[in-house]
Amino acid sequence: MRPSVSTAAKWVGVATALAWAAVAAAQGVTIVVNGSGGSLAQVIEKVYEKPFFEETGIRVKATAATDHLGKLKAMMQTRNIEWDATELNAEGYPIAVENGWLEPLDWKFLDPNNELPAEAKPKYGVVAATYSTILAVRTDKLPPGKEMKSWKDFWDVKTFPGPRSLRNDPTRNLEFALLADGVPKENLYKVLSTDEGLNRAFRKLDEIKPHIVTWWEAGAQPVQFLADGEVHYASAWNGRITVLAKKTPVKIVWNGGSLNLSYVVIPKGAKHVKEAHTYIKRTFLDPKRNAEFTAAILYPGFHPGIYKYLPEEVGRELPTYPANVAVQFAFDDEWWSKRQDKIKERWNAWLLK
Amino acid sequence: MTRLTRLRDAVHGLPAGWLLAPAVLLLVGLFVYPTLEIAKLSLFDPGFTTQHFARFFGTPVYLRVFLHTGQISLVVALGCFVLGYPAAYFIVRMPPRWRPYVLFLILVPLWMSILIRNYAWMVVLGRTGLINSLLLGLGLTAEPLKMLFTTEAVYLAMIQILLPIMILTCYGVMVEIDQGLLRAARGLGATPARAFLAVFVPLSLSGVATGGIIVFMLSMGFFITPALLGGRRDMMMANLISYQVSTTLNWGFAAAIALVLLVSTVAAVLLFRAVVRTPAVGLR
Repeated sequence: MRPSVSTAAKWVGVATALAWAAVAAAQGVTIVVNGSGGSLAQVIEKVYEKPFFEETGIRVKATAATDHLGKLKAMMQTRNIEWDATELNAEGYPIAVENGWLEPLDWKFLDPNNELPAEAKPKYGVVAATYSTILAVRTDKLPPGKEMKSWKDFWDVKTFPGPRSLRNDPTRNLEFALLADGVPKENLYKVLSTDEGLNRAFRKLDEIKPHIVTWWEAGAQPVQFLADGEVHYASAWNGRITVLAKKTPVKIVWNGGSLNLSYVVIPKGAKHVKEAHTYIKRTFLDPKRNAEFTAAILYPGFHPGIYKYLPEEVGRELPTYPANVAVQFAFDDEWWSKRQDKIKERWNAWLLK
Repeated sequence: MTRLTRLRDAVHGLPAGWLLAPAVLLLVGLFVYPTLEIAKLSLFDPGFTTQHFARFFGTPVYLRVFLHTGQISLVVALGCFVLGYPAAYFIVRMPPRWRPYVLFLILVPLWMSILIRNYAWMVVLGRTGLINSLLLGLGLTAEPLKMLFTTEAVYLAMIQILLPIMILTCYGVMVEIDQGLLRAARGLGATPARAFLAVFVPLSLSGVATGGIIVFMLSMGFFITPALLGGRRDMMMANLISYQVSTTLNWGFAAAIALVLLVSTVAAVLLFRAVVRTPAVGLR
């Protein structure tokens, strides 16, 4: 006798039950993933956390800290590791590595087919996103027939009069100043490493200082200033300017932009190291998911596969688009992590002058 | 005897000091202990060191920020007094049934996020803001006035943010002052101005002092307003601390700055108390 329909149904039932059992075993595990909150958290929940839970049964509890590095230090000191994974910016990553606060990553598990370029596989972090600090221009405020194309133009207040804004921090501004002074982008950190080069950058900043009406602190500020017409030219983060461009005549100048990485890392002693690996692999390192994330937020990960899933007009607006990479410089987080404190002191003194 | 009255008697039997115990416990646990930890952090890193304090007092930039913080706080406390004292007096003199409504209106801004109030000032003071649009539209100026990103903008916003606290503190003391004393002064031949200056002002001074001190102390720790509305020179101590805590992770130095801020604020308050002797007459 052939197996009846009901027998087949029974087998399907058993298989389903087994699958559910597997899911149930993983269930109950909740990993804590720390991010920056805001609209980014909403996108992460939609394209990363929810599908991940549906596939694996591992629940993701998202937390948002304003100060990732400081909180990580506090966790290490009190040995109460709350996070299973956390975002870390370019300046914070080398400090965390140096202090031994991070779990080494299992790259064989994360990238079994070796699809990622070697420079995208640091020992302790996955490149979760890339972002650029670029020059943003209100195109309707430009003098007729003129176009701002570089930091040299930003410094040229005769040809391009108007209020400007830069970030209240020496990082990147020293690089921008040297670019405006004619230093090729390959030599930026070599020049900055000498006292003479550092002085040169500050001297160049002296020139632009009277024309900077405000020094921004938070990424939302330059966007607001440009939207209100409070300033005509400003440094800003690329993703926010692309969004602003939908309603305001504003343009990104990629030339001389600072290309930065932001990492996702696993704190040393995290309670769910294995599950955190699974999470990272299936979200940040899944090109299709990452493409979905990128389309919403414009901060792409490092997986070369994502451009396959993105339309050309979105791709052009991204920091890692080949034509954009070619004209930017790579922000050197390690160089800065060693000198930040001292240079910031000088920066503050310079601002007060 | 019911259980309730027994309980009441038991409570009455306790020395009143015991009732403070929960508050003291909370203060010791959540304020005194952390403050001592901060003091430790500033002096041991990990061995005993004075390097953080030496750095603070040996670097001109930190001293300048320190003085600027004191200056801003002083101006804001004075500004709150000038605006808050008459306002509180006005409320005390109005018919009692109107007072709750006016006090409510004064409370409303306190429930609004400081961030939002700062942004509102940007909308008012900006190049393309309310005032400038009006002035340009009326042809009173040819160029937009620079109001935003100045120290004056910081004063303005901080005074607006802290003013309710000054008014409420002054009001609390003024409402307790027996209006009969003023009538008595008038009856004894004083002019209204004399009665106000010789009787009311001295009696209300403790409210002014308390309000001024609270506003001054809150100002010393301000952080967002100078960053959003101030110019490049408007750095305050809290901005320095935040940078050391989150960006450089130099917590020893951050603790040293915090301690300098705490000690100097307490010292300023004690000095002020010594100068303005508050009369205790007629006040509980």
